Amino acid sequence: MCILPRIPSQTAPATGLSRTQLGAAMLKYIARRILQMIPVFIGVTILLFVLKAPGILPGDPIRMITGEKEISPVLYETLVKENGLDKPLVQQYFIYLGKLTQGDLGRSYQKDRPVTELFANTYPNTIKLALAAIVVEILIGVGAGIISAIKQYSFWDVLVTLSTSVLVSVPVFWLGMVLQVIFGIEMKKWTGGTFFLPISGMSGNQFPDWVHLILPAVTLASVSTAYAARIMRSQLLEVMGQDYIRTATAKGLRRRDVVFKHALKNALIPVVTFIGLDLGAMMSGAILTETIFNWPGVGLEIYLAIGQRDWPIVMGGVIIVVFAVMIINLLVDISYAFLDPRIRYGGAAE
Amino acid sequence: METLLEVKDLKTYFTTRDGIVKAVDGVSFDLHRGETLGVVGESGSGKSVTAMSIMRLIQGPKGKIEGGSIRFRDQDVLAMSEEEVRHLRGDRIAMIFQDPMTSLNPVFRVGDQIAESLIIHKSMKKKAAFQRAVELLDLVGIPKPESRAKDYPHQFSGGMRQRAMIAMALACDPDILIADEPTTALDVTIQAQILELMMELQQRTGSAIIMITHDLGVVADMADRVLVMYAGRHVESGTADEVFYKPLHPYTWGLLDSLPRHDIDEKGELCPIQGQPPSLISVPPGCAFSPRCPYAQPICRTDAPVLRVIEGGHAAACHFAGDPTFQRGVVDCAGVTS
Repeated sequence: MCILPRIPSQTAPATGLSRTQLGAAMLKYIARRILQMIPVFIGVTILLFVLKAPGILPGDPIRMITGEKEISPVLYETLVKENGLDKPLVQQYFIYLGKLTQGDLGRSYQKDRPVTELFANTYPNTIKLALAAIVVEILIGVGAGIISAIKQYSFWDVLVTLSTSVLVSVPVFWLGMVLQVIFGIEMKKWTGGTFFLPISGMSGNQFPDWVHLILPAVTLASVSTAYAARIMRSQLLEVMGQDYIRTATAKGLRRRDVVFKHALKNALIPVVTFIGLDLGAMMSGAILTETIFNWPGVGLEIYLAIGQRDWPIVMGGVIIVVFAVMIINLLVDISYAFLDPRIRYGGAAE
Repeated sequence: METLLEVKDLKTYFTTRDGIVKAVDGVSFDLHRGETLGVVGESGSGKSVTAMSIMRLIQGPKGKIEGGSIRFRDQDVLAMSEEEVRHLRGDRIAMIFQDPMTSLNPVFRVGDQIAESLIIHKSMKKKAAFQRAVELLDLVGIPKPESRAKDYPHQFSGGMRQRAMIAMALACDPDILIADEPTTALDVTIQAQILELMMELQQRTGSAIIMITHDLGVVADMADRVLVMYAGRHVESGTADEVFYKPLHPYTWGLLDSLPRHDIDEKGELCPIQGQPPSLISVPPGCAFSPRCPYAQPICRTDAPVLRVIEGGHAAACHFAGDPTFQRGVVDCAGVTS
């Protein structure tokens, strides 16, 4: 039947854009998204400055610098001037914006070091922890969800469904401490000190650095892993009931190709959304996990700075975090286009 | 003529919370090379389940083929391993589904979806298979097939998607093409095009077609032989001429009376069959059609009629079929009057 002549055709609807046009549209979309970040930044900085206005939040940064002891009014005035707090708030704001455009986030009141330098030290730690947690989420969460769906109602499915129900309701600080007790302390006792996991800090003499990541990453990922597993399971089950899966089976595909090729790519779209948003959230630092495991990340840094009214750190930290979250969100949005061809950015419908 | 497919007393049941649904309950037919078998019946009469059973697509704990036999070229389909059935599906027996809008995978290119069959069944290389997919799209009348093969399903209209489904089904040159209401989801002008396309392709490829439909008009146009189903049961079968011009079963009479016709100049309205088809969980005792049958006698409510060959290949499952005194009455819509 290879040489059969063709049958008269119906008229074709417009194909829409060509591939190169699509590429250009995508670039345009990305450019527009990046431009849209500017007003968001301005909005965030204004909000942060409003918090600084007298009477909004209690506490005096100068008092925090000097501690509780009394200082002379002259020294007080000098410190106020040194930190630029004598100028009107609006003027302070424009000075800040001007420096921001040059990449200068100011100096910490407390630590007397440039904010950029502080975050250059702590941000990589946050990213490291976030990425490790995402790996846990993908490997364990997505993996468990897939197994649960393809073996529906089996022992494994019940196990995954039950354990994820429990896990989503376990508070992170509790889980973190329980893990510390089990893997760090009890395990050390049982094995006579031969096997246990580090429970604090990022590095030490006893273990390679990546081992220090295990407990914080598992703790940080716990709730999201449970959610990822549940979303993956329900999505895959839903997709497996779709007509095109029946088509794929009727075509004579192996079951594993039906599941891992035809079903998974469709089912992954909402999972990618979830994990992407979660990665964004983790980029803003994990205050609880970082505190429990003494992990020097941005969450801890910003949290401590708020208590000390160290505004340059708070503002600089929030701005960096906002930037990171927006970049991650953009990357997630772009990844949709690769997973789902129905989503095309920059078109007329946008 | 070579018999491709022999289905005997097929029974496919589903277990539900409310009871056992006898979706297909004793269907038998043969299919020969190059012929078209029309399977007609109302929604829920078991047409699609019959088709899915042939391809062993009824799976899982809920649905099961409980009895009967399906033989494809003298091989027992029901005894085949999953791997053997896989080689049948898409290669020797292909299927076109009802709704082309949902039957194509939205995240893969149309050409790749067609090429997939060729890669698995004909061991073709990816590139060659895609090239063949382009030819197939051309064959089913898709304009600019080279570029359309790279499109995704959402870029196709409904009619074009069904053409693509046909191209996919024909990719491996199957012996049997099962079309499950292939035109139901399409608008009328496109319906005619798709049916024409299928008939033309059948003439060229010699595939046998099982055309499942509730549209008697489609069957009249296309089918060589007709199988009428009601409530999962085989009620009548024969050549298209026999079923349309000498129908034996009161259900077939009812179906024909509810069909608008242009060929007979008869004044009158369309008469739908009164009542609803029974629930397949509690099919009435005796003949499943008896509660709706205007000719029903006491025996019809107690004894299930057996499918009997009345004449040649013309068979019906009615106690009175073939009885010369049992004639189709003149029907007005209040019931049968003569």
